[in-house]
Amino acid sequence: MHYLGLISLYIAFGSALLAVLAGARAQARTRLSRRANLLSSLAVALSTLVLVFAFLSNDFRLAYVARNSARSLPVLYKISALWAGQSGSLLLWLLVISLFSLAVQRTRRFRDGGFDLRINTVINMVRVLFIILLLFVTSPFELLADPPSNGSGLNPMLQSVGMVVHPPLLFMGFSGFLVPFAIVVSRLWARNSSDSWLQEVRPWALFAWLFLTAGIVSGGQWAYNELGWGGYWAWDPVENASLFPWLTGTALLHTLLLDKGHAGRKWWSYILIALTFALTIFGTFLTRSGVLDSVHAFSGGVLGSIFFVVLAAIVLFSAGLAWRRRSCLAEDPTDQGLSANLLGTAIKAGNVLYLLLFAAVLLGTMFPLLSRNLAGREIVLDETFFNQVTVPIFLVLFFLMGLAPVLAAGEVRRALLPLGLAVLVSLYVLFAVGGGVTASVTFGIAVFGAATHLGALFGLSKRRPKLGSTLVHVGVLLMLVGVTGSSIYTDDVFVTVEPGEEIQFGGYTVGYQRLQTRYGMDRYTVGTTLRLSRSGREVGTLTSEKTFWENRTQPSTQVGVFSTFKEDLYLNLAGWEGQTARLHLQRFALVGWIWFGSWVVYLGAVLALLEHVLGRKLGKQVKAWQ
Amino acid sequence: MNKKVKIVILSLLPVLALGFLAFRAFENSAAYYYTISEAKALEGQEQKLRIKGQLVEDSVDYDSSIPLLEFALTDQDCQIEVVYQGVLPDNFHHADEVIVEGKFNSQGQFMVSKLMLQCPSKYEGEE
Repeated sequence: MHYLGLISLYIAFGSALLAVLAGARAQARTRLSRRANLLSSLAVALSTLVLVFAFLSNDFRLAYVARNSARSLPVLYKISALWAGQSGSLLLWLLVISLFSLAVQRTRRFRDGGFDLRINTVINMVRVLFIILLLFVTSPFELLADPPSNGSGLNPMLQSVGMVVHPPLLFMGFSGFLVPFAIVVSRLWARNSSDSWLQEVRPWALFAWLFLTAGIVSGGQWAYNELGWGGYWAWDPVENASLFPWLTGTALLHTLLLDKGHAGRKWWSYILIALTFALTIFGTFLTRSGVLDSVHAFSGGVLGSIFFVVLAAIVLFSAGLAWRRRSCLAEDPTDQGLSANLLGTAIKAGNVLYLLLFAAVLLGTMFPLLSRNLAGREIVLDETFFNQVTVPIFLVLFFLMGLAPVLAAGEVRRALLPLGLAVLVSLYVLFAVGGGVTASVTFGIAVFGAATHLGALFGLSKRRPKLGSTLVHVGVLLMLVGVTGSSIYTDDVFVTVEPGEEIQFGGYTVGYQRLQTRYGMDRYTVGTTLRLSRSGREVGTLTSEKTFWENRTQPSTQVGVFSTFKEDLYLNLAGWEGQTARLHLQRFALVGWIWFGSWVVYLGAVLALLEHVLGRKLGKQVKAWQ
Repeated sequence: MNKKVKIVILSLLPVLALGFLAFRAFENSAAYYYTISEAKALEGQEQKLRIKGQLVEDSVDYDSSIPLLEFALTDQDCQIEVVYQGVLPDNFHHADEVIVEGKFNSQGQFMVSKLMLQCPSKYEGEE
């Protein structure tokens, strides 16, 4: 069976190479390129299916299956175990790239011949790279000489819905940014100096951004619910690696909105597209090369070197192409000064801020490496560094974001009322709530942004803003409030409780009854359920458990979370002796706002996509009418 | 003003801002990784250290009722005793290398304020 997987990978390899060559020739062979692309995608899908089947049928002859699965694993996790390790993750990523390549081919523009076939060449070059890695460096179809009767199982930390969705979302986001890159490269390659690609890349970039955002947020949510330290972001190199393309990708989405006539519009877009794509590869390099220490485990070795070479090639290629085709990237002189408005200037200032954030996080992430090579001493920078550098830049960026609706409508005076409101809120937080200057300024900026956006949306400005982008901005502000609240207003306590005891924590009465033990096939679980009440009324329960596994030294802890609009109570069962339990209780304010805000962001991004697609369709119909 | 001068000033501004922010934050958080031997030499001092070492396998002693975690870290040459007041992390026994942040007390024990693990857990990378 595994031969089928390997053979399909070889077929995918051959046809991807064919697609590269067919598209690259001057006399492009349309049908050949398309069919090769289709065949390669189907072969990748088949190969993935073979591996899924191997997981479902407990085929422990495959080393990858034996390492990441076991007979007793629930079906859902048998499927998600596919991306629990390195080679499976690469295979999934390859599959997603293949889906994108098919989606590109399905577009009307492609079928009309409006897209250059070199777009297939670029996408398939990346695909060839991934297939080479899967075939020769880290194969998921490697066989064990002496297959075990049962696999060693999936890490319990990964047995959660968060880890089922997080990697695919992230890979969708990463691969999605390949398409804008392929589009712009094919345009420049063909010496096309029009600016149509700015419109063409936008839906792809938006789509990729939506998934990348969801990938990052779901990762944070998983850490919060699963890892038990009560945080969702730790500036770990692996987390930063996913943040890099997000920062440049967000800058890109805004740059694409610049009107004709803004100086450097094409240059900014090109640089951000190439940088974002390069950073998706850089992220993999960072996580796979072992150049940096991280709490996420890394593997050293040949994979890292390959990614490094590829990364260097992408950077050199992008820079070289831009230089050779610099005339195509220049603005049309007839457009100059057409509509140089304040919004455009703000967007470009925002780009500078996004790049500053990128530079700051990059500096912090790479500092151990830099200091090791320059000073001979490894110096590690912790969260304090990242927070202190990025928070001020983020705050300026959020303030600019709050200005967006008034700048778009050209009514700067409309900012005065929200500004007044923001100052009032800031003063209120500073003197009545507490939390210091940062909290006060942040909440002020959040209120300012919310007021300008909602004001514009409900008709207080001449130009009605787009619903999608407004919702994204409002969602981001909700997340800002959640992040600020949960990092500044926190509380925690370690207590030892006897059965029947009640304690007071954060305005709640917390009642402990007893420990319960459950036995499973390969595990036993000790847990407790606390009763929460407030002013005599029972409001909910908190359950935390520790599971001990037969063939693992490492137990897994389930934390209990009681979530309200105002705060989360977070319980960690730390230990016990007899029926006496040791509890770690934490309280984080406003965490729920982060997750709620993220859904508002997704909704807004989907609406923005619809607006883009429908808007173009409607525009065409109107033109046809006239 | 000359246009070129303007561009230079405009591009220097963010760089300077970043430099200022980074420098200020750097003073607050930069931390070396000391090896066990290096750390041992600094035993008498009231200094916050960050140490990376290998876990001595049979040294782990955990009292869940306090909770108090005691273990030893080594770098082949030297060994130090480490005390951590907190919950035993799930993946502790799986850890290869442990990073601890804290200070030595007068008995020469290293009192940890922050515990970080490097785990070869399977969820990234291959063995």
